[in-house]
Amino acid sequence: MSLKLQNISKNFKQFALKEINLEIKQGEYFVILGPSGAGKTLILEMIAGLLKPDAGAVSGIDRGKIGFIYQDYMLFPHLTVYENIAYGLKIRKRDSREIKALIEKLAARQDIEHLLQRDVLNLSGGEKQRVAIARALAVSPRVFLLDEPTAALDRNARIKTRSMFMDLHKETAATFVHVTHDFEEALALADRIAILIDGGIVQCGRPDDVFNNPAGKETADFLGYRNVFGGKVENGLIDIDGVTVAVPLEKADYAYIAIRTDDIIISKQRIESSARNSFYGTVKNVINKSSMVEVVLEVGGAGSAPPNGIELAVDITRKSKEEMGIEPGMPMWATFKVSSIKIFRH
Amino acid sequence: MKFKIIFSFLGFLLLLFIAVPIFKMLTAADPAALLETAKDAEVYNAIFLTLRASLWATIAALLCGVPLAYLLARKDFRGKKLVEGIIDLPVIIPHTAAGIALLTVWGRNSWFSKLSGINIIGTEIAISLGMFFVSVPFLVNAVKEGFNLIDERYEKTAVTLGASPWKAFLTISLPMVKKSLISGSIMMWGRGISEFGAVVILAFHPMTAPVLIFERFRNFGLKYALPVTALLILISLMVFIVVRVFEDRKS
Repeated sequence: MSLKLQNISKNFKQFALKEINLEIKQGEYFVILGPSGAGKTLILEMIAGLLKPDAGAVSGIDRGKIGFIYQDYMLFPHLTVYENIAYGLKIRKRDSREIKALIEKLAARQDIEHLLQRDVLNLSGGEKQRVAIARALAVSPRVFLLDEPTAALDRNARIKTRSMFMDLHKETAATFVHVTHDFEEALALADRIAILIDGGIVQCGRPDDVFNNPAGKETADFLGYRNVFGGKVENGLIDIDGVTVAVPLEKADYAYIAIRTDDIIISKQRIESSARNSFYGTVKNVINKSSMVEVVLEVGGAGSAPPNGIELAVDITRKSKEEMGIEPGMPMWATFKVSSIKIFRH
Repeated sequence: MKFKIIFSFLGFLLLLFIAVPIFKMLTAADPAALLETAKDAEVYNAIFLTLRASLWATIAALLCGVPLAYLLARKDFRGKKLVEGIIDLPVIIPHTAAGIALLTVWGRNSWFSKLSGINIIGTEIAISLGMFFVSVPFLVNAVKEGFNLIDERYEKTAVTLGASPWKAFLTISLPMVKKSLISGSIMMWGRGISEFGAVVILAFHPMTAPVLIFERFRNFGLKYALPVTALLILISLMVFIVVRVFEDRKS
């Protein structure tokens, strides 16, 4: 049975969710990706039945079998770790010996046996997360709803958590709906991704498809595309503040283009090649990233000199940077193919 | 440094203003007279009547006031500002006026009295009603603030774990506002004990301690009013201290 959201709409004071349609397959790891304030948590609350939509319906979910984990874990502060995990079981009036046995099992799985009698207030972020998952697991959920579950953690813990969620997904074979604003997290975990911007789903699909073919300018921005520009298109050329770029589109009053940082080649001399876009410019900044180096190039029209150009971000390896001796202020050429340009109407 | 000294000094003035009269009054009462007064059945009865009537008012307020405080903290609805205004009303209207207003609803010639054939004026119930009216804002507002401080997502989490809204309220929301419930109740109870204006209009007899103090002062002068006053304050202080200490011990 797949989880269906049909034509869900909900109005709030300064914000609205607009006609959300999603079909999430049983056992799927589904990620809703969007900037903060896009309405991600509200969608989860509607799936869980905590919030009623103004229009539309959610179907295909057994609300007695939900594992909802909020960003700050929401461990009940007036209860101990043990009582927190037991909460859902006590509500279900399970026998206290049965509860004890189950909690011991869960505690061993989550590596929190030593915390069971502790207050929840002075646990670390990671410990809180493990307790929250144990509490959710206690009611054997068939659907996990995760609301930015890693946002409160530092980078290292965040990456470890990803792998923990993968294991949890494999082990429980439950459906996961995970919301996040972190596109790396989405890419790492998702079977499918939906992108939510301003209360509407703008794109939905497999992670690679979404990342390689963003549906619009906002999506491209949000997915971390660095070279996104807009302008008027005539005769297959887009005019971006006076810089003309050959694009795979004949004519448009206004359109946006995006070029991936690894689709651009930089060189000291002009490259004679089949690539139709080649620009002369100056290195403005050289930024070290974890595995690559980002070179920011200020370019004008073909052969002309900056300033008054546009900035192109180009990713190269550390080794290339060393070999070419790239420094700020150096004159360079940037070249890319028309076919590598993604074009959007909005 | 100067900042701290000036602020401390100003705060100290305020404390003196409150503490000095109370201290003077407690010391002015002759210990022998105080002992004598404590044995006086009229005084004794008045003080316990006061404590008891205010307790009834507080219990009734917990019953209706906590759900209202919860609604005000959690829900947005049309007319919410009006409801909050009505709750605050008893704090700003003169308490004798409050007593008169209550008479129009509960008095001898009121609909209530005519229809039910019951007269509550001059009874402990009337005293509790007067106390309830003037002191309930303290409880509702304290508990409302308590609920406001609690993230609604705790309740939502309880619901996702299978709790009904009732169960989530009883097992999560209510225990989490325990501090506000206790301090709100103490505030309301204390405010009820001290009430004179509304109570004296609804029931001169049986006499509550504040009414008795007024009566003795008017008929016999300061000397006779002092021991009753001192005794009432001592008992009230003792009760508050016991409740506070008990609460601190527990948490």
